[in-house]
Amino acid sequence: MRWNVDPEAGPIFEQIANAVMAALARGELEPGDKLPSARALAEELRVNPNTVIRAFEVLEQLGITETRRGLGTFVREEVDVDALKRDRIRRAARRYLAEVRALGLGLEEAKAALEEVKEEDGARA
Amino acid sequence: MVLELKEVEKRYLRTPALKGVSLALEPGQVVGLLGLNGAGKTTLLKVAAGLLLPDRGEVQLLGRPPRAARGEAVFLPEQNPWPERRRPGEVAALLAGTDASFDPERFRRLMGFLEVPDRPFGQMSKGQRARANLALALARRAPLYLLDEPLAGIDLISRDRILKALVHEWREDAAVLLSTHEVGEAEGIFDRAVFLREGEVVLDAEVEELRAKGKSVVETFKEVLA
Repeated sequence: MRWNVDPEAGPIFEQIANAVMAALARGELEPGDKLPSARALAEELRVNPNTVIRAFEVLEQLGITETRRGLGTFVREEVDVDALKRDRIRRAARRYLAEVRALGLGLEEAKAALEEVKEEDGARA
Repeated sequence: MVLELKEVEKRYLRTPALKGVSLALEPGQVVGLLGLNGAGKTTLLKVAAGLLLPDRGEVQLLGRPPRAARGEAVFLPEQNPWPERRRPGEVAALLAGTDASFDPERFRRLMGFLEVPDRPFGQMSKGQRARANLALALARRAPLYLLDEPLAGIDLISRDRILKALVHEWREDAAVLLSTHEVGEAEGIFDRAVFLREGEVVLDAEVEELRAKGKSVVETFKEVLA
């Protein structure tokens, strides 16, 4: 998976934790997969190792990863990928709805736009 | 506590360089010392290293005055301190013979990691010189590294390599205080940022907390130092 952090876009530990959840929801990362070590990831992202450790702690608290002694950090087998997907699509929907409202439009127009865009994409493919 | 400064004052003739600076560093912390040119960053680092004595206030390096704890802090000056005709390898051989904390194996590894050619300093680019000097500095085993503008005026690739090496060499038992006036690329590696303006600490903050409040270090830099 590809990792991206932007120091201008909120706490970096949250961005790292979110990136793992997004990768799981998209299927780029699967239950049982091993995450890179905190140090290796810190090096790749040019961030403080403490920041990555904190991100991994958050993921562990959320029940998404587990640390196996001497082996590293793994995505738990029992992780509910469908719940992560629902969570992400709801977040995206909330952003979309905020834009629709800002334009002074409603749910009907929002749905219509989704349909239109989907048809256009279908025609192009 | 690795380093502690309490109400440190330093003047050059009549000009005050540090006005009541207090600062503490714990093991494992990477702290950015941020400020414009002339803010007092180099003076602060030299006082911490024991290279300058404060006029007032207290400095403790591992609980002792820096001059009594000589060799505990590594100071990397902004300008290349080595003769132009010397190669980093020659300097390393010299340091290995005179300084017990210098680890030649670590130095060789760092030269490879930082991709530094072992040629005379005078025949290197500015970025290569900066990388060679960082390798020489980090090859010393010490609880405190004081790095003065290691990223200033060098090419993008060198800056990126240096940041990567700093993360690679990060240790739980050592603290790093790194001064810079170019905040952008470096801000990810800091735990904390100390903003210095005209010899005074105007803000000392955990960087992730700044971000949680919706501000990056770069934005904060512009805000508090403008």
